[in-house]
Amino acid sequence: MTLTIEMLFPEIANLYGDNANIEFLSRCLPEARIVRTGLNETPQFVTGNVDLVYLGPLTERGQLRAISRLIPHKARIVELIDSGTHFLFTHNAMECLGARIVNAEMNYDEPGVGIFDFSTEVGMFDRYTGKVMGNCDGVSEPVVGYKSQFSMVSSSPEIPGFMRTTRGIGRNPTTHVEGVRRNNFIGTSLIGPVLVMNPHLTQWLLASLSPSPTPPLALRELALAAYNARLREFHDERTWSAFERVAD
Amino acid sequence: MGKCAALALRLIGREGTHVPGRIALWVCPDLLAVIARPETVIVVTGTNGKTTTTNLLADALSALDLSVSTNRAGSNLRDGIVASLVSGVNIWGKNRRDVAVLEMDERSALRVLPQLAPDIVVCTNLTRDSIKRNAHPEFIAWILTSAISPTTTLVLNSDDLITVSLGGDSNRRVFFGVDPTGDESSEPSGSAVDASICPRCDERLQWVFWRFNHIGRVRCPVCGFTSPVADIRVSPVDSLTGLRSLAINTESVSVRLANDSIVNVYNVAAVAATLDVLAVEPTVIGSIVESLTPPPSRFADETIGGVRLVRLLTKGLVGVAVSRAFAHILSVPGRKAILLAVDETTDRFDGVENTAWTYDADYEYLADPSIAAIYVGGVRRHDQALRLAMAGVDPDKIVLDESETRGADLVVLDGIDAIFNLHSNHNAVSTGDAVHGKLRTRLLELSS
Repeated sequence: MTLTIEMLFPEIANLYGDNANIEFLSRCLPEARIVRTGLNETPQFVTGNVDLVYLGPLTERGQLRAISRLIPHKARIVELIDSGTHFLFTHNAMECLGARIVNAEMNYDEPGVGIFDFSTEVGMFDRYTGKVMGNCDGVSEPVVGYKSQFSMVSSSPEIPGFMRTTRGIGRNPTTHVEGVRRNNFIGTSLIGPVLVMNPHLTQWLLASLSPSPTPPLALRELALAAYNARLREFHDERTWSAFERVAD
Repeated sequence: MGKCAALALRLIGREGTHVPGRIALWVCPDLLAVIARPETVIVVTGTNGKTTTTNLLADALSALDLSVSTNRAGSNLRDGIVASLVSGVNIWGKNRRDVAVLEMDERSALRVLPQLAPDIVVCTNLTRDSIKRNAHPEFIAWILTSAISPTTTLVLNSDDLITVSLGGDSNRRVFFGVDPTGDESSEPSGSAVDASICPRCDERLQWVFWRFNHIGRVRCPVCGFTSPVADIRVSPVDSLTGLRSLAINTESVSVRLANDSIVNVYNVAAVAATLDVLAVEPTVIGSIVESLTPPPSRFADETIGGVRLVRLLTKGLVGVAVSRAFAHILSVPGRKAILLAVDETTDRFDGVENTAWTYDADYEYLADPSIAAIYVGGVRRHDQALRLAMAGVDPDKIVLDESETRGADLVVLDGIDAIFNLHSNHNAVSTGDAVHGKLRTRLLELSS
């Protein structure tokens, strides 16, 4: 069966190298069909079957544009999440599906799509940059990555996260819970090509997308070498700064 | 208070650094607003080319017999800008310069422009820069627009849709651009295209021509929006005469530039546009821009024993700069070997570099059959190898070594026409110089 991966709004959701996530998946799934849906087009998931819906990082105005395009399809997105369709929303894309986004410096307070009960506060002069390492249900090895963001997400800790950090902050500096997870929906504020950087996570996602047979990981040796080198450094206490600690 | 600060600093005499500026601002926090200033104050900003454009503009104004305050040798942050202005006042606090040409870091705009309210702001371009510091160019454009005074005249790159969005309704805008050569594409390629949708209707834009990143001219197929027409335009080189046409509003003069790289042509166009705003006659502008010589670049290209040895600053963490370096490699003919060492050394001892930026860079240029081998040195060599392989480079062509310099010993020179020594800013001496020295020695030995 040919898998379909839909990239939403790639003309604006293309920052920080995150689109390499889909490039890497397409290397692992050479038969997969990649659909690129523009801002002024109706998403394929609205009327057809899609196996993975992807939305990458956006500018602040880009977030508002994406929200305006997704709000009309809120019920369909909920239906797909509930029925187990895979979603991957990276960096600030996840924030679009929350209750609201508040940006005092840019002078707006806008509702999000409203699928998840969290809110986002954007501080244009308060960019946070730090490392993250943690555990993700089902993934055999730690997930490693980075945050570099203007925003922090506030929510009830009861909303399941994508991962629980062992080092580095979660949705905000007071929690180890990072991102959002509901069925096969993954939302994470990690920045950059998370799947390229985490071969074990990608292998797990591939198995979930295509269980029988599970496709092999592309560029496996190189990906593992890069991951293992980074993990070794992340385990080194000297590479962590005080601001990367969760204020328990 | 401002005069006192200026006097004290004039007596200290420490020009060309940020120190006097910092002291002056400590003594007089609103010094930028109260210091005696030249009749004309010009600020030059942008992601790329602001240093060169500042220097060229200062040279151009000096050629007009104007006395110029500039931070050519100093910092482009607020302290350095203050220090430059302080250097332009006498011990009585009186201004003694005709004009100030001040390079400004884009992120410093809110700390500089509201108080300074310059007469002219020149913006060379706004493209992706450090993910950590600059986020995305729309953020930088927002900072600049928030800080620009409504009375300031803006000199903007018409081929950069993000730059042309700067300012408000009341700002006068003068646009400069570089005409297409015909070699450009009508479809963008690469990772960092930041102006893809129409600012009016969100439709995907069509490219009249695409040069690199989001630089080029666009039109919207739905609402008719187009890039602004440049008031000052530089034509391609005429193959017969070697001359370019410099169109200034309705007039045109022929010029021969000292450096025909597209980057330099944009910088010269920005200078010409600024001179036009200052009401300099087009014929005078033409003769001045012909006399301008860009400062030596961090670039070296020599041939030893028939092999080209090219040293290229390849600014790590900044994908668009790396893409330009890779594109240059591809433009050089022959069979090539590359030494790549672009780790961010500041992240080496107390951090772990985020290599997401490498996926904002077009490593795909290096997946070319003309490239025989790529020697990658440094801590992040495994990330680099993975990025190269993702770009389509044959993993068998990639040689990894923890040392940033050992590649100069390992590189196989047989059958190689050109070797590229790519390093970043921070390791320019420790790695760039060392590699260059080793390669020169090996090539000289081979040729003797």
